[in-house]
Amino acid sequence: MTDTALAHAPAADRRRGEGLTAGMLIVPASIFVAFCLLAPLAILFRYSLNEFVTTKKMMVEAVTLANYVKFFTDPYYTTILGVTVRVAVTVTAVCLVLGFPLAYVVARTQSRFKHLLIIAIVLPLFVGNAVRAAGWMTVFGSRGFLNTTLQWLGLIDKPLEIMFTETAVIVGIIAVNLPFMVLSLQSVIEGIDRSVEEAAFSLGAPPGTMFRRVLWPLALPGILAGTILTFILAMNAYATPFLLGGPLFKMMAPLIYNQFTQQTNWPFGGAIAFILMTVTLGLTMAANLLIQRRRAS
Amino acid sequence: MAQLDLNSLSKRYGDFYAARDVSLQVADGEFLVLLGPSGCGKTTTLRMVAGFIEPTAGQVRLGGNDVTFLPPWKRNAGMVFQSYALFPHLTVAQNVAFGLEMRKLLRIEIDRRVEEALALVRLSGFGARLPRQLSGGQQQRVALARALAIRPDVLLLDEPLSNLDAKLRQEVRVEIRELQRQLGLTAVMVTHDQEEALTMADRLVVMNEGSVRQVGTQRDLYERPADRFVAGFVGRSTFLDGTVEAPGRFRSDGGLALTCTGGQPGRAALALRPERVEIGLVKSAGLDNSLPGTVEFVSYLGALIDIHVRLSPNDRLVVQVANRDGGFTPEVGQSVHVGWSASAGLVFNE
Repeated sequence: MTDTALAHAPAADRRRGEGLTAGMLIVPASIFVAFCLLAPLAILFRYSLNEFVTTKKMMVEAVTLANYVKFFTDPYYTTILGVTVRVAVTVTAVCLVLGFPLAYVVARTQSRFKHLLIIAIVLPLFVGNAVRAAGWMTVFGSRGFLNTTLQWLGLIDKPLEIMFTETAVIVGIIAVNLPFMVLSLQSVIEGIDRSVEEAAFSLGAPPGTMFRRVLWPLALPGILAGTILTFILAMNAYATPFLLGGPLFKMMAPLIYNQFTQQTNWPFGGAIAFILMTVTLGLTMAANLLIQRRRAS
Repeated sequence: MAQLDLNSLSKRYGDFYAARDVSLQVADGEFLVLLGPSGCGKTTTLRMVAGFIEPTAGQVRLGGNDVTFLPPWKRNAGMVFQSYALFPHLTVAQNVAFGLEMRKLLRIEIDRRVEEALALVRLSGFGARLPRQLSGGQQQRVALARALAIRPDVLLLDEPLSNLDAKLRQEVRVEIRELQRQLGLTAVMVTHDQEEALTMADRLVVMNEGSVRQVGTQRDLYERPADRFVAGFVGRSTFLDGTVEAPGRFRSDGGLALTCTGGQPGRAALALRPERVEIGLVKSAGLDNSLPGTVEFVSYLGALIDIHVRLSPNDRLVVQVANRDGGFTPEVGQSVHVGWSASAGLVFNE
């Protein structure tokens, strides 16, 4: 007995040693997350409970919900939250509808240019949001390329109002988010055996039914990942609504930035930041639960 | 079940013919096996029958109806895939019910036929499981039940056994064959495994480079191969290259003068089945051909022994003998005599 116990002891030690080394690997990332994400958030949350003296433009130490109350009682702010959610939901839905066929084609192509196709999809991300938005201002502005061309052709009398509308912002965010949706879907669709689709066809399912009964449920993990990613990015979009939305169109992220820099109202800015974060997480989790419950039934 | 006819079916990709002028008749209740090396066009042909590939030319008729341009979901063909292709998110029963739901049957009827199909493949009681909870052999049986539940006009099997291990393969082979006979199914199977093809088929189709080389029973293909490819692909043959000098007289490139049957004067190959050649220490009288040689290589297969004999610098022959008690046991380097009757050799002119 003792002999075998002794013989096994070094092996067990060695295994524990390996566990330690593996554990060490996640330490740097954990420290980074703790100091660079959690700590600032905690401090910001504390700020959001402070008071702000408007006359002196100064933060005063306190524990009050005044900032949160101010946000939810003023229709100006709740409208901005509503617009933000509306834009994010629209963007996510359009990305899913546009992204699925594209992801399917990329996942199923046998072409040797497949990698070029993927690069082409990711290419828009190589250009920063601000640069892209500035580029669009030159195309869609009232004296931009599109309007001058249409007027020159005599198709319109007055320039079209494209810039500084909600539509412009939605189109702009879709262009940024679509690659994330496509890549999430593509990786999952690639893992679905092509012959499963063919099996459904041979059993009498037309393409629409095959999609609904086979492809969609099997692609669901990718659909969830893609929609979550797209939704969060859209909720937090800053440069696109700022540049394409103009001075009158407001979304949450530019509002927060404005509170911190123009108004120097850190408590209220912090409160809005936390409201945005909570609403985003809440809606994401609700959608997740809904889809999973429907899948289970 | 129904009769299946393929008329001059071709599939061309650019200049490349994946299948060329394939014409086959499969009778009601017949089990036809398409056999050939990979890339020979057998899978392309099967997929044209299933409707997954649109032929460039030709016609597919199922039960007398032209289905050539009908999409797969409008043909009543049950397909079994190499990868099983079960729906991983559905239970076994839901998988089998899928095709019946597509046919808008009543729930009671669906349940009854799912039960019936699962019983056929001896998987009653497995209905509530998910495919990943089953073994490979069980999954393949579910795939078979799913294809049979829709009562297809033709059952199509695309290398259905190649993902199973050797022992299981033999069992499932017999099982599929028995089911097919019992239900009187018209079936077409694709395989590259000749043993599988020989044990399962009523008739076989040997394909190569997109074309049908020979259609026939096991005996037809083995005893009377149409060409050199079939002689080499179905069973085993050793080929001696040489020239037919006159019908019945063959001279190998190594200079051996041999007696054969038939053949046109000109370049040709003489094919010999290893088990049709006799071997011994002394010259055996009464055989049309008897030649001295040296044992070069011996492979011991258990019940059988393969002996490679060098007859001339250019000619080497494989002889197969049964491993009998007190039988001939060759050693490498040994001098031996090999012999065969003229009718054992098949001559293929080039």
